Amino acid sequence: MMKPVAFEYVRPETLAEAVTALDHDDARIIAGGQSLLPMMNFRLVQPERLVDINRITELERIERTKTGLRIGALTRHANAARDPLLAEHFPIVAEAMGHVAHVAIRNRGTVAGSLCHADPSAEWPLLVTLLDGEIEILGSDGHRSAEPSEFFLAPLVTDIEEQELVTGVHLPLPAGPSGMAFEEVAQRAGDFAVVAAGAMVRVENDTFAEVRLGLGGVFDTSVRARALEGALTGQRARAEELEAALPLAIEDLEPNDDLHASADYRLSLVPVLARRALIRALHRATQ
Amino acid sequence: MTDATPFTRPKYVGTPVRRLEDPRLLTGRGRYAADIQLPRMVHLAIVRSDQAHARIIGIDTDEARALPGVIGVFSAADFAHVPDIRAPSRMPNYQATSCPVLARDVVRYVGEPVVAIVAVSRYIAEDAAALIDVDYDPLDVAVAAREASDPAAPRLHEELESNTVFTRRFSAGDCAAAMDAAANTVSGQFRLTRKTSMSTEPRAYVAEHDVGKDVLTLYGSTNVPGIVRDAIGRLLELGGNRFHVVAPDVGGSFGGKGSLYPEEVIVSDLARRLERPVKYVADRMEELTSGSQAFGEEVEATLAFDDDGRFIALDADILGDVGAYSIYPWTAALEPVQVAGFMPGPYRIPHFSATVRGVCTPKPPTGPYRGVGRPMAVFALERLVDKAASRLGIPPAELRRRNLVNAEEFPHRTGSGIVWDRSGFQECLAAACSAVDLTALQAEKARRTDKWVGVGVASYAELTGIGSRISVAPGMPMNTGAETAAVRIDSTGAVSAVFALASHGQSLETTLAQIVAEELGVRPRDVAVVQGDTALAPHGTGTYASRSAVIGGGAATKAARALAVKVKRVAATLFGVDPSDVQTGNGDIFVPGTNHSIDFPELARLVYSDMSTLPQEARETLEVQETYDPVFGTTTSSTHVAVVEIDPETLHTSLRQLVVSEDCGKLINPMVVEGQVHGGVAQGIGVALLEELKFDDAGQPITATLADYLVPTSAEVPDIDVVHVETELPDNPGGFRGMGEGGTIGAPAAIANAVADAVAHLGVEVNSLPITPNKLHALIAAASRQEGQE
Ligand SMILES: Cc1cc2nc3c(=O)[nH]c(=O)nc-3n(C[C@H](O)[C@H](O)[C@H](O)COP(=O)(O)OP(=O)(O)OC[C@H]3O[C@@H](n4cnc5c(N)ncnc54)[C@H](O)[C@@H]3O)c2cc1C
Repeated sequence: MMKPVAFEYVRPETLAEAVTALDHDDARIIAGGQSLLPMMNFRLVQPERLVDINRITELERIERTKTGLRIGALTRHANAARDPLLAEHFPIVAEAMGHVAHVAIRNRGTVAGSLCHADPSAEWPLLVTLLDGEIEILGSDGHRSAEPSEFFLAPLVTDIEEQELVTGVHLPLPAGPSGMAFEEVAQRAGDFAVVAAGAMVRVENDTFAEVRLGLGGVFDTSVRARALEGALTGQRARAEELEAALPLAIEDLEPNDDLHASADYRLSLVPVLARRALIRALHRATQ
Repeated sequence: MTDATPFTRPKYVGTPVRRLEDPRLLTGRGRYAADIQLPRMVHLAIVRSDQAHARIIGIDTDEARALPGVIGVFSAADFAHVPDIRAPSRMPNYQATSCPVLARDVVRYVGEPVVAIVAVSRYIAEDAAALIDVDYDPLDVAVAAREASDPAAPRLHEELESNTVFTRRFSAGDCAAAMDAAANTVSGQFRLTRKTSMSTEPRAYVAEHDVGKDVLTLYGSTNVPGIVRDAIGRLLELGGNRFHVVAPDVGGSFGGKGSLYPEEVIVSDLARRLERPVKYVADRMEELTSGSQAFGEEVEATLAFDDDGRFIALDADILGDVGAYSIYPWTAALEPVQVAGFMPGPYRIPHFSATVRGVCTPKPPTGPYRGVGRPMAVFALERLVDKAASRLGIPPAELRRRNLVNAEEFPHRTGSGIVWDRSGFQECLAAACSAVDLTALQAEKARRTDKWVGVGVASYAELTGIGSRISVAPGMPMNTGAETAAVRIDSTGAVSAVFALASHGQSLETTLAQIVAEELGVRPRDVAVVQGDTALAPHGTGTYASRSAVIGGGAATKAARALAVKVKRVAATLFGVDPSDVQTGNGDIFVPGTNHSIDFPELARLVYSDMSTLPQEARETLEVQETYDPVFGTTTSSTHVAVVEIDPETLHTSLRQLVVSEDCGKLINPMVVEGQVHGGVAQGIGVALLEELKFDDAGQPITATLADYLVPTSAEVPDIDVVHVETELPDNPGGFRGMGEGGTIGAPAAIANAVADAVAHLGVEVNSLPITPNKLHALIAAASRQEGQE
């Protein structure tokens, strides 16, 4: 089976039209199509109506807000990787995008598509989790927003309703100068992560003012290593301190176990990637 | 003429002539079977078994038939007139399986064709497929070969005596006594997991019946059009003048398109019955569940050697997981028996014994896969050689040097009966080892803490261009030893060279043109190589088993040589000189040092169209057909050296360097040879590090997409150094040896040895491929647990 069942195709030009088009029993948004089309071809999903949002160009923008950056839903992975605003404030994005699939897929795949597909190993959910992003959602009742921990419910399951669409994600700027770093282990270049780790470190007066560690691929959804973060905040900003806190990186959750990586192997990677990401972030924060 | 102008005729054989097929293929102008659109063409979709072993209780097709756009729904009963596909063998006690084109009564693997649906589009055909309800009564399964080989195991084919469909023994010398007496032995249990060849183009077939002429044509992505023509001709009772098989551009096979498939029979038969062209294009999931698979062997082997490291005896027990049916025409013996056959390798091993069994399991049939049998044999043997080296503290390359057959010892007969003609065994080892700085690597290995560095060497020999005295597949009762070339100069002076070969990535349109051009005295681009069409070609079977350059190239050499003689004879009459004075080159026919010169179009005009210049009896038809059969085969040898780096923390394994030195006789085109080596090595990297078809306990495939079955991408393939070694040329018309498969034969073993070298300090061995970071993690954890216990 590599052919989708028949579907109706609608291509709204505006957000308002999109909301109307989504007011249907069984409609599905198509953005880059990089995750949806394979699932349709396998007939794993069989939407009656496809709502193609690619014409809604206002969803492609990346802009400054008062408190951060707003990344439009339709921003392609490739464009995010070379965006000057993102490069200035969140250089970790470009670093992470280098691990997303291959050139052709990065040229099509979108930020919101990745968030809504919610693969536990995908880079965007991890970045948004790490960076305390807010996911902006539009429905017939108007706008709402969701935090990553509310949005990502389980593998391939999010909090979004069928009639809603994600318009973008807002990333608040860190409270001061910071260092960030991304680390990943995948089977092959471009494969979904076996384990990925993103770190953000802020140093003030030689102490950790803020430490964040996000992990992807290990559990059902991307998670923050809150115990480690809490333990390090206020400590002297030294590699040894990071090192000592690493056992706390492993959250008390059921790790993924699949064909490509056993739970044991995954767990063995967590402290390794956490250390590498945190140490590089610390270097960058203190440079 | 005393001071004739010296003439140097351009050489084409041996030069990197740019591929003549590239402008077409690289600009998207190739024409593959799936590109074929014919008027009134209909599309086939197949309902495949979702059970590994089950009885078919009933098939409800009513809803599917009622769907608008559906033209027909067919099950086994509708193909009662087509005999089952059986691959007979001359091997004693061989049990051939019967494979109906659509499963009848019982299904034997997930992916087996059960119902064929024809509709006006593939979309509708698949909609209809989703409406078909097959009622199965599950039968017991023995999924693993070892389990299935138990006489008490559930039998996959009721009519057979056992799941073990053949057993064969090899013996030379007195292995048991030599083992007992030997000072040292090393043993291991080795496994190559199942793979599939995964070419870029999935299998695709279009059959068209010209009702008026009663001629059926099958356009198919196959590399054995001659074999498919003969087989389907027999099944459907069609003569070769009423049934043609055409392989258009074919996007790779690697073995996977080298067997007869039920789908080929189905589209051919339905095109006649429906009087409409029928198209079938396999999707990727079908490729992963119903394309022929490979390997799946377990080998238990012991190597005995003296204190100087001289090999004395080798014993091997080989269990082959052949899948549900023995594939046509190669039989189920194809892979496992060749593991035994090639087990002694390029070494002197006086005593040899092997037992090989093939066991039917509820999995897709195994068939040819680049290297056939040799990748497993070389992996097992080369691991043993490295273990012996470490036991004696002798460098691995040195131990090989002591045991490889030396130049003066050829021809050498191995314990399994294969005869190696002269090939550069020692020369390849020496060349490969001098391309890497082994001493510096040893120092680096000791120094580095951020990476575990490992170096692996693998040497092998293979038999290529196999002639009529030897079955390409052990016991297969089919002569595949000859190919024929028909080289023709038509009345425009254009040169065509027609073959029954079927290039699917081997660059035959270039290399065969080089051969013909060189022999005839034209330029390669003047020669149109016609191949892959049974209606046009003289007898021949196709392109596989590293045979096309040797056998097809041999026929091309003979035919073009004979045609050059004719050309010179005609020209001599014209010039009034002796034929021996006439030369050809660059498209001209001339007598050096004179103004006698004519080009091919002019000569052709004089022969075919002019009524007076040449006397009637001198107007010879400028056409020659020659067959070449090497009778035996010729040996290609090679050594691969791999250098890997493993991240001690993540166990991510990367290939830093890969060197291949090979002796493939005279190189027709060094660039093409390197391309074949690169591709073969890439495939070998997949074997070593990534690719594995997995099945659960119920026989369900769990690697049915390319997200789970991982093939190497360009990022996983390092630059590959290829060193050409040319020793004494083999005794065939062109001096060529086959080399299309070699890359896949040596690379897995070299990489396995390199990984083993990198992790040796942890007490971990590499006995099963692919070796992935996940598996390494488990092995290292097990080793440290064991250490903890001791
Ligand atoms: C071979 C391959 C390798 C890949 N490797 C990686 C990888 O390493 N890392 C990684 O992160 N990703 C990877 N991907 C996935 C890729 O990043 C996809 O682009 C991404 O997951 C989905 O984005 P899309 O725009 O293509 O979404 P689509 O496929 O169009 O949609 C995906 C889902 O999101 C929904 N959706 C899309 N946009 C919206 C919206 N604005 N509001 C609400 N719902 C929406 C759709 O309805 C659908 O359910 C890979 C994909 C392929 C094919």
